[in-house]
Amino acid sequence: MPDITLLLAALFLPLFPFSMVFNAVFDRLQHVALRSLLLIVWPHIGLAILQSSESGVPTWFMTWALATSLLYAFRMLALRGVGQWTSFLATSMWATIWLATTDTSQEMLQFYALAISAPLVLLAFLSVGLEKRFGAAYTGLYGGLAQSIPRFTGVLVFVILAAIATPLFPGFFIMLKLILNSSALMPVATFVLLGIWLLWSWAGVRLLQGLIVGTASQSEVTGTTALKDFNLITSWSYAIGLIALVFSSLYLTGGLS
Amino acid sequence: MMSKLIILIISLPLFSALLTHLLTGQLGRCVARISVAATVLTVFSTAILLWLSLSGSLVGDSIATSHWTVLFYDPLSILMALVISIISLIVHIYSLRYMAEEAGYGRFFVLLDLMTASLILMVAAGDLITLLISWHLVGVLLYFLLGQDTRNHSAYRYAFWTFITYRIGDLPLVLAAVLLFQAFGTWSLPDIFEQISQNPAAHEVFGLALPEVIGILIALAAFARSAQFLLHTWLPYTMEGPTPVSALMHAGIVNAGGFLINRFTPVFAHTSDVLQWVFIVGFISAIIGSVLMLAQNDIKKSLGYSTMGQMGFMIMECGIGAFSLAIYHLIVHGVFKGTLFLSAGSIINSARKSDGVPKDDLYKFVVEKQPASTPKSWLLMALITLLVPVTILIISHLFISADYFQKQGAIILLFFGWVTGAQLIFATYRTYAQNLWRLIFISVVSFTVVIIGYIFISHAFDLYLYPDAALREQLYAAASIEKIRFDIIAAITTVIIVASWIFAYYAERSGKHIRYKGRTWITFYALISREFYMTDLYTRLSRTILSTSNKLNVWLRWN
Repeated sequence: MPDITLLLAALFLPLFPFSMVFNAVFDRLQHVALRSLLLIVWPHIGLAILQSSESGVPTWFMTWALATSLLYAFRMLALRGVGQWTSFLATSMWATIWLATTDTSQEMLQFYALAISAPLVLLAFLSVGLEKRFGAAYTGLYGGLAQSIPRFTGVLVFVILAAIATPLFPGFFIMLKLILNSSALMPVATFVLLGIWLLWSWAGVRLLQGLIVGTASQSEVTGTTALKDFNLITSWSYAIGLIALVFSSLYLTGGLS
Repeated sequence: MMSKLIILIISLPLFSALLTHLLTGQLGRCVARISVAATVLTVFSTAILLWLSLSGSLVGDSIATSHWTVLFYDPLSILMALVISIISLIVHIYSLRYMAEEAGYGRFFVLLDLMTASLILMVAAGDLITLLISWHLVGVLLYFLLGQDTRNHSAYRYAFWTFITYRIGDLPLVLAAVLLFQAFGTWSLPDIFEQISQNPAAHEVFGLALPEVIGILIALAAFARSAQFLLHTWLPYTMEGPTPVSALMHAGIVNAGGFLINRFTPVFAHTSDVLQWVFIVGFISAIIGSVLMLAQNDIKKSLGYSTMGQMGFMIMECGIGAFSLAIYHLIVHGVFKGTLFLSAGSIINSARKSDGVPKDDLYKFVVEKQPASTPKSWLLMALITLLVPVTILIISHLFISADYFQKQGAIILLFFGWVTGAQLIFATYRTYAQNLWRLIFISVVSFTVVIIGYIFISHAFDLYLYPDAALREQLYAAASIEKIRFDIIAAITTVIIVASWIFAYYAERSGKHIRYKGRTWITFYALISREFYMTDLYTRLSRTILSTSNKLNVWLRWN
């Protein structure tokens, strides 16, 4: 019988079916500040609970975490809502943190959680931007963002790339570290992690294609309707955030050597 | 000090990308000149590095730039960096006018520069993390380059195929990197290669020697990148992207598979069965790519399958242990395929006005399939066909080394050279010509020049890239199979080919032409016209996955 604190941690470092709670809460919250807060705080509560636990994490918990991560990565493929995509990716990524709990310091685990959440917070803000402009943040509804709001699209592309663990962003190095750890502990986990990574990429590209590709209406391009692109300050703010994420990766690579 | 040139070579296109992005608003379309100038500088710097390398002025072959970052400046990386930068320069210059009417002109040059930097970083990567980063980034950047026209759904659809195949190919490389780090405790490739050379059997994974497992994983990564059979469907379909991107992709990016296998030479030298499998996959890809190329009626798609066939041949060369020959092949292929792609547009344009094909006897032979009769003895021609190429090949190889024929890899290459030469003379025999002997003489001279050039240049490549004779011998030994098995396969293949030629000659002379009828022929035609149903299969598979994902979401109430 697992320690009750571990089960509680499974709510915040979400493991299926407890993960449904986080996704339902995220869906209910409409304000971007609350969503961002949830994305940052939720896994840290889990880590804090985990630290207070007296028993170690059993191996079957790792299997459970992997299965959860795989399930949500797989389910992301069919999603069209940007908000839901964000919460599913968060669930899938946070679940992988369980694999690092055996041999990683608490500080590093907190850094992992933060590095995973940061691009998702940016994505939550972009999702609100889409809702303001189009009334909904769904793929396949309007498309052609690259033409109508190019700066917004540029930021969106980089944020999604950061979220799906593309190189130079922290997610890439976290995945590398997790694969490194898992190959020593559970060789099968290595293959599953690689599969999960592939599914994230697939889902990310599907999300991008559903938003940025296509022909925007002439009124959107010429600006006669209320489609406002990012101004320079907003674009640079996002760019600085993304650059900060890249630099934070250097901190992570220290742990790889 | 000069070794630090490699850092400059990688930094130049990166700096250019940044500058191009920042100045696009101010300079408009003139901003592309920054990108071109930076690429000229990159070519110039790489040429200096190659000259230093050839003159023996470079000390060492790698440089550590941080606590885990290592960059190679060995012959392989310098040569590949020069090829990449030259092809990139040609593509840059071509794009100046070709892309002038397109939206996102500045973005295109930014992406080209980033791609150049990633490719050079990939060939110079001296540690596994840098290699993984650059390998992954090439796939991401190619996706956006192929999707340059953001209005075009079709371009993005096929760019996605490329992206996902590349991601599939990334995974074995990640696994290989992790296994190597676990075994040797370092990311540095020079250190890993040294430890493997000292004791190749020191580590085991999944019950196999580590070099064997790493060899398999590296080969899988190379197959995805070089469009080998089962992982090839993206290549002929990515023609919706801009032509300069097609040129860059076919001339440079797909060659990465051959490069990767070469980079891990010290690992492959200690494998036992991997190279034979590499050969088989390359052989199947070469045959299927060439067959599908012949069945296409679209020039760009035909070029796409031609690249698949060429990549198959390049992988085959790796499979027989002729690693440096594969590098020579990828360079030559890059030059001619880049030229073909860049001129494809003007050919299509002029063909719209006039096909330019004279309706003479050659046209009747090639297009209307009406073989012309020749008065020469078929037996004499058959003998010339069989003997002349093999004589040229043997004499040319004897100049290189007397024991050349002891190596199985050399025999296989000779065999392919012989088949090609004989096919050339056979085709010459079948065409109508006023002076057949003159035409055959010209064909034989061309063949001789090509073979001698190929042999001498590839030998020079061998000496430059792999000066260690022992390593070269190890590679050939790793690629060899049992002598008896090899002899039987070679004999059976020779008999089949020679019998086919004699049958074709005889049928030609006696007027008993093969009639392409019957169920087998129709089935075969259906298979190649549907490209072996591979694209249909993959499309069905991905739709099933997406549909299952959707059902699962509905069942779990989207939470």
